[in-house]
Amino acid sequence: MANSTNQSAVNRKIFDFVEVLKDADISISVDEVLSLFQAITEIPLDDKEVFRQTFQTTLIKDYTDIPVFEKCFEEYFSGRGKFFDDINFRELAGLDNLLTPDKIKNLSEVLENFLNSLDESVFAEKSESDILNLLLDELNDSGSSGGTGISIFRTGGRLTASYFSKAADQETQLSEAETAELLNLLGKMMHLKISRRNIGKELKEREDYLLNKFIYQLSPEEIKEMRELINRFGQKLKNRISLRKKKVKRGGLDIKKTIRTNLQYGGVPFKLFYKNKKIDRPQLVVLCDVSRSVNQYSRFMLLLAYTLQSLFSKVRSFAFISNMVEITDLFMEMDPERAINSMFEDTNFTYGWGSNYGRCIDMFIDNHSDALTKKTSVLILGDARNNDNDPGIESFKKISEKSKNLFWLNPEKKHLWDWNDSIASTYGVHCTEMKEVNNFIDLTEFIDKLFLDI
Amino acid sequence: MFSSIEETSKRLEKEKYITSRAIATTVYLALKLEKPVLVEGPAGVGKTELAKCIASALDIELIRMQCYEGLDEAKALYEWEYAKQLLYTQILKDKLSEITGAEETLAGAVKRLTETEDVFFSEKFLIPRPILKSITKKQKTVLLIDEIDKSDPEFEAFLLEVLSDFQVTIPEIGTFSAIKKPIVILTSNSAREMSDALKRRCLHLYIDYPTLELEQKIVSLKVPESSARLSSQVVETVQRIRTLKLKKEPSISETLDWAKALVMLGYEDLNEKTAIETLNFILKYQKDIELTIEHSREIFIN
Repeated sequence: MANSTNQSAVNRKIFDFVEVLKDADISISVDEVLSLFQAITEIPLDDKEVFRQTFQTTLIKDYTDIPVFEKCFEEYFSGRGKFFDDINFRELAGLDNLLTPDKIKNLSEVLENFLNSLDESVFAEKSESDILNLLLDELNDSGSSGGTGISIFRTGGRLTASYFSKAADQETQLSEAETAELLNLLGKMMHLKISRRNIGKELKEREDYLLNKFIYQLSPEEIKEMRELINRFGQKLKNRISLRKKKVKRGGLDIKKTIRTNLQYGGVPFKLFYKNKKIDRPQLVVLCDVSRSVNQYSRFMLLLAYTLQSLFSKVRSFAFISNMVEITDLFMEMDPERAINSMFEDTNFTYGWGSNYGRCIDMFIDNHSDALTKKTSVLILGDARNNDNDPGIESFKKISEKSKNLFWLNPEKKHLWDWNDSIASTYGVHCTEMKEVNNFIDLTEFIDKLFLDI
Repeated sequence: MFSSIEETSKRLEKEKYITSRAIATTVYLALKLEKPVLVEGPAGVGKTELAKCIASALDIELIRMQCYEGLDEAKALYEWEYAKQLLYTQILKDKLSEITGAEETLAGAVKRLTETEDVFFSEKFLIPRPILKSITKKQKTVLLIDEIDKSDPEFEAFLLEVLSDFQVTIPEIGTFSAIKKPIVILTSNSAREMSDALKRRCLHLYIDYPTLELEQKIVSLKVPESSARLSSQVVETVQRIRTLKLKKEPSISETLDWAKALVMLGYEDLNEKTAIETLNFILKYQKDIELTIEHSREIFIN
């Protein structure tokens, strides 16, 4: 009996954890949960590494999800370790003699059992302090807190607590301050246990928050976090697009292969082979304004473009402030992130003061127009703040004419376009589209759509 | 079969394959649950080797199928031996007309012919390809489907039946179910994503670069001629190099090459100078080499 209740508690925990993973946006099918339960019976449960790998091998099929899984697993199953970290023992000096680790463990078990006995809906409806009150009521009803050796009573709206020490074989009444501390401790434990259920949601929310935040408002710490996210997200996007692209290729009869294969059947075309129609992967030319105002934004775009490099037949990238410089080679030789960093060391983008779109566009047409073919999609990133220079509109028209399509991604809010020194709409009319894109989600959506048109 | 995770790891070690706890767990579970394993990870970490070593540790046959673009069911599952079928119809012409001779109508002749079994579409005229072979073998086999990411997405569809039910359906004959369920290992370098349907049917194993201790064990096992001192220097250095942002990180096989080369060149000690001279054994891009030399102070601290 004890074994089977223990079993169901374990099962419940596993289900809970699967929910956490699902909250973190990892897709898990019923089939996979089944094989997890099959697998659990085959392994020793006391080996953490084996336990973790069993979850990972049965549930996580996409390697880009592994970091997320690891985070969730650590948070969820190392709750106890974390629990002790979070309690400041000095703060609880008053309870020093009473709270041995054993007692804390006992208390934690009482709490766990209590939480398990509650209906799921309670967690959604009630606040943590409400749930704590429920626990106190329950303890009150049952007369004592069982094996903890600590009892908490509510008498006339006041809480009193006492603890029973075996050594002295007597009950000691706790002072008011001690009671308050005990309650504080219980509250903290409760918070940790309840929030454990939300690990997945929290991760997902954090991710959504970062992806939706204005890129130029990201703090340096957030940018670090973003890098990892871009890698993961870029990989996912790449996988998705490459899967989709292959579905549409189908072509005419491959005569050479058909004849060759059917020679063994006396030349009778017994088996037919079809040519796979070569889908022209798009060529991409990225022109990035890397001046201070949009620098961060361009970095992300370049990082994304090169993460997705294999999807394009060719990616050429150029950066400019008031000088147009090709930076493709840097990316050929180095890891994208390093390339972006070294870009500023090696190259001089400035000529005179501030951004000069017109000059750069002229330079592009003069020196690099070989980059443009009818298969090329051109992406320009920038705020079109030209510092009242000549817009170079003739050259810009040429870019538009020579390429398949021309997109301008503008990180500025739409109502700021054309305000002050921005000449967004001067360029905008010659673009296939000028879009306001200022967070990462929109950026990936844009790339995703780029492939749909092909 | 392996009886526990520890045994899995020990038996594989005997085949000179050092497993991490994670690898041993997945292999053990795959055998226990009789599920295929999809192995992913960077190139050169021993994905294919794992399948080979499982086969030799269990002392069973390894059937290997290398995937490539354009691989189709005729190369992977089965093929009808058309020439043989044609030849036999010629040889058996008389016999055939004997059977059908008495019938006057065409419909009658066809009926007669079909009554005597579908001779030409029987197992005798079937060429089994790797997958069908592993299913019909009387002994258990390891079926290695290597570099599945190189095949076309359509090809995955042929695999689904094998992966979930261990059977192959041939329209003309019927369904072949596995006599002994093979151990199926699929490897992928993640050149493209596998479909969800395929992934759902498999256990997943991601093999990353090994930890320091593991890699040292591997080197001392595979390059026994290298001294313990040199091995640990090589491994520590490679591990540090991997932390740089390189275009192509050195994998285990490169670590092994390097250790072997250093032994062969007669070095007993890896100092900065020898390391830089022989960097081209582990780094394949000039820029990577330059970057490493730039950071030589942190990298070559032996």
